[in-house]
Amino acid sequence: MKTPPKTSPKTPTETPTETLTGMPMGTPSVDVPAPRPPRESVAPPVPAAPPGTFRLATGGLSVLVPLRPLLAGAVLALLLVAVGTVCLAVGDIAVAPLDALRAAVLGSGSPRDLLVVEELRMPRIEAGITVGAALGVAGCLMQTLSGNRLATPDTVGLNNGATAFAVAGIVSSSTSLLPSATALTGAATAAVLTLALSGGAGQRGYRFLVVGLGVGAVFGAVTNLILSRARIDAANAAFAWTVGTLNSRSQTAVTVLEVGLLVCLPLAVVLGRRLNVLRFSDAVATGLGVRVRPLRVAVLLTSVVCAGLAVAVAGPLGMIALAAPEAARRLTGPGPVPVLTSALAGAVFTLLADLIGRTVMAPLEIPVGLVTAVVGGPYLLWLLLTTRTRRTP
Amino acid sequence: MTLRKTLLRGLLPASGVLLVVAVAGLLVGAGDIGPARAAEVVLGGGDADARFTVLELRLPRTVVAIAVGVALGVAGAVLQATARNPLAEPGLLGVSAGASFAVVLAIVLGASATTVAPYVAVLGAAAGCLLALGAARLRGAGDDPVRLVLAGAAFSGLMGAASSVLLLANQRAADEIRFWTVGSVAGRDTDDLLAVLPVLLLGLVVAVAVSPALSALTLGDDVATGLGHRPRRVRAAAVTSVALLVGGATAIAGPVAFVGLVVPFVARALVGPDLRRLLAVSVLLGPAVVLLADVVSRLVVRPYEMPLGVMTALFGAPVLVAVVRSSRLPAL
Amino acid sequence: MKPVNTMTEARRLETASLTLAHGHTPVVRELDVELPPHRVTAIVGPNGCGKSTLLSGLARLLAPREGAVLLNGRELASISTREVARTVGLLPQSATAPDGLTVRDLVRYGRQPHQGLLRQWSKADAEAVEAALDAADLRELADRRLETLSGGQRQRAWIAMAVAQDTEILMLDEPTSALDIGHQLEVLEMVRGLAARGRTVVLVLHDLTTACRYADHMLALSDGRIVAQGAPAEIMTPDLVRALYGVESTILTDPVHGTPVVCPTALAVAPEPASVTSEAVPAAT
Repeated sequence: MKTPPKTSPKTPTETPTETLTGMPMGTPSVDVPAPRPPRESVAPPVPAAPPGTFRLATGGLSVLVPLRPLLAGAVLALLLVAVGTVCLAVGDIAVAPLDALRAAVLGSGSPRDLLVVEELRMPRIEAGITVGAALGVAGCLMQTLSGNRLATPDTVGLNNGATAFAVAGIVSSSTSLLPSATALTGAATAAVLTLALSGGAGQRGYRFLVVGLGVGAVFGAVTNLILSRARIDAANAAFAWTVGTLNSRSQTAVTVLEVGLLVCLPLAVVLGRRLNVLRFSDAVATGLGVRVRPLRVAVLLTSVVCAGLAVAVAGPLGMIALAAPEAARRLTGPGPVPVLTSALAGAVFTLLADLIGRTVMAPLEIPVGLVTAVVGGPYLLWLLLTTRTRRTP
Repeated sequence: MTLRKTLLRGLLPASGVLLVVAVAGLLVGAGDIGPARAAEVVLGGGDADARFTVLELRLPRTVVAIAVGVALGVAGAVLQATARNPLAEPGLLGVSAGASFAVVLAIVLGASATTVAPYVAVLGAAAGCLLALGAARLRGAGDDPVRLVLAGAAFSGLMGAASSVLLLANQRAADEIRFWTVGSVAGRDTDDLLAVLPVLLLGLVVAVAVSPALSALTLGDDVATGLGHRPRRVRAAAVTSVALLVGGATAIAGPVAFVGLVVPFVARALVGPDLRRLLAVSVLLGPAVVLLADVVSRLVVRPYEMPLGVMTALFGAPVLVAVVRSSRLPAL
Repeated sequence: MKPVNTMTEARRLETASLTLAHGHTPVVRELDVELPPHRVTAIVGPNGCGKSTLLSGLARLLAPREGAVLLNGRELASISTREVARTVGLLPQSATAPDGLTVRDLVRYGRQPHQGLLRQWSKADAEAVEAALDAADLRELADRRLETLSGGQRQRAWIAMAVAQDTEILMLDEPTSALDIGHQLEVLEMVRGLAARGRTVVLVLHDLTTACRYADHMLALSDGRIVAQGAPAEIMTPDLVRALYGVESTILTDPVHGTPVVCPTALAVAPEPASVTSEAVPAAT
């Protein structure tokens, strides 16, 4: 050693730090006030709200409304109304779009229009919107949870699990065991299996997906097994379940789904605020005061409920849960997790797919699940083959 | 590992299992001819009913299952070596789905199933194969064995949905077509087998011929070139053999997934990673697995039968999970 | 030179016979450490000695196997995560952010512990964000996307997020890893500035000389135990370096700042009793 170390090594006068802070280092910090005033007096005025948001505030309460997601939501809502109107108008019996809208909203018009719109088409559209919204939310939550935009209820086996249980319920009992209940059980079972076998959604995102694929394959096989041993009429009734269709929906299941959405949507929005943080690593999220594990459980539960109840209505309708959040993210930009926008996008996509299925080969009807598979499949492939890094959505 | 060890550890148990399930395939069925009556036939006696069931129904079916098993087992081993990916499986990567979609399309366009099926199926399988391997070679995807499988699943799903749409569009051919959406060896006879046999044999010959070069390729393209192989040609030959084998198998039995995953997985556990030993064991294990699945599929839902493809999925999906769960995917 | 803690208002973070484990292997054993308030504490030690694990334990990312982490005498595990987040900020190693986030977006996340469902943005939030941007000298870059920044700038943005959290204690896990020396200085000078303004900073550092230069207090860890702690100038000796890394060294003095500079000269010949060193030492001749 050339020179003995100084007793207080942190007090040299020429450290750049000092010029930065204008304060000698190492002084007892009693002098330092804990809340610091803004450092430079020349600093520009502090904006009331961060850029790109609008602040609603009264008293101590304040809510930030992000502008771009708001705009995206408005656009999607308009689109939903437009597609919905077309759905109401188009079919074997054509109804003028305006008449259809009037019949649906005001309940007035010619008896024929009223019959077609209110009795035949409205319930179907209602089912489509709720199913699409539920799948959109489920997909958005699942993707954010696992930090992988390919992880959706259909890719990780939830839909197949729900279907297997629902089909089992329909085939086995003469009494109509509520498909919603069985489907929900199935979705939960599949989720637990996939999570347990892959060791968590957070780590090794792709392992989670392939395990989900395997679990989904087993449940798919179970569905086939049940169908192959069922009496043929019961099997026919259950066959609709294997593709995903809005044709054979049960009104009870739709009602249950609506109730579920009434609970899950607000919950998802509240969770969504914390979910923003979950897109960082767990360590960052914990550092910011988020209890990661309970949050994950809550998010997963919400996702499972949405997916399970949606499957109970429409069967294993694929791709919506993948594409809707993707579109929502494109529209809203890299801001908060787009829970509501995903729901809207899901509803739009589902209605659109159903419309295509009803019209392209009319009078034959292509089940909506086949439409989404044929349209969404290439998109999924493209995503898989072009995504380079394992980035969070 | 010496030849003797290979024999002891791999070939012997595999042929034992094959023998047992082949006999079981003759003795067991979903109908009323029980094992005892069937055994009499096998031993040369038996009544007319039993003779018909065993000799005309179960025997051809067993032979078909053996052929399909050989084809799929070998194709799985070759495809895994080519893609250097333990998850590469003809069913999972969409090769089978491509083959069956091609057949469905041909039927809808007016062709009769039995005559053109093998050739159309081979074309479809080749397309699926090229797509899968193309995906593997795309930037990034090759480093991630799992992503290849996801792409394959997506492709399979797409092909399946497209087949279903065709099936909807063409009710007339629906029954003929429905067969092509789930694999089965039920009701297939020796004529069907003879139609695809040339294709299968050719595929087998190519697979055996290419295996030394292919195993050199697992050391990397540069090393293989240094050893005097031409990587591109070797890969092309391997793909051809997989397409022939899977196309042929699909033409006769429809899409049967997971066999090509399970067989090399078990074989690797028995005799290690060397491709030639793997192939030798797979030739025996493939039919064993398919026959086993077929026998079980006759028993679980008696008096009905379950499609073979469903049964292999039940067997195979857990293996898939096991492979992915193993802390480190074995490099191939 | 362990600073005497006379300030009652300062939040004290300490451990009481803390044992941390990954799975069944204990990584940190029965540790009693105290973080001197308003100072920069550096945790140093060889790879796998439990530096980052200790930091995780201090930041409640890892629950204690035995013993406890105490914040002002209260067990950390018994305090709500949110409340802790208002006192203890954390920047984990190589944190990644979703694509498309701007610097200001990221820094805004630091305010999350102070916000609620119906208290989403206050003047204090806005001021803290701007102050943090200033402290990190990021005002010009505030609206740039993270992925367009250099490594040092991005790291500063992350630290700014932790700063905006406005916590008295700030933990940084290897904030300078993968940065060149220019960017390292950039980050470490910022850390000094934070301590000068009253923060208690704990950081894991790889480089001994850097640690000596920027830390007031040093914890030298080996095999999950404290080998030495105190002011860098007092504890940094060739013996310590040998005990930690199995390396012979000469300790010089920085001609400008007067802090110790560690010059490794050779691998130690005799294997040290500490098990960590044995892997760094070649087999005996």
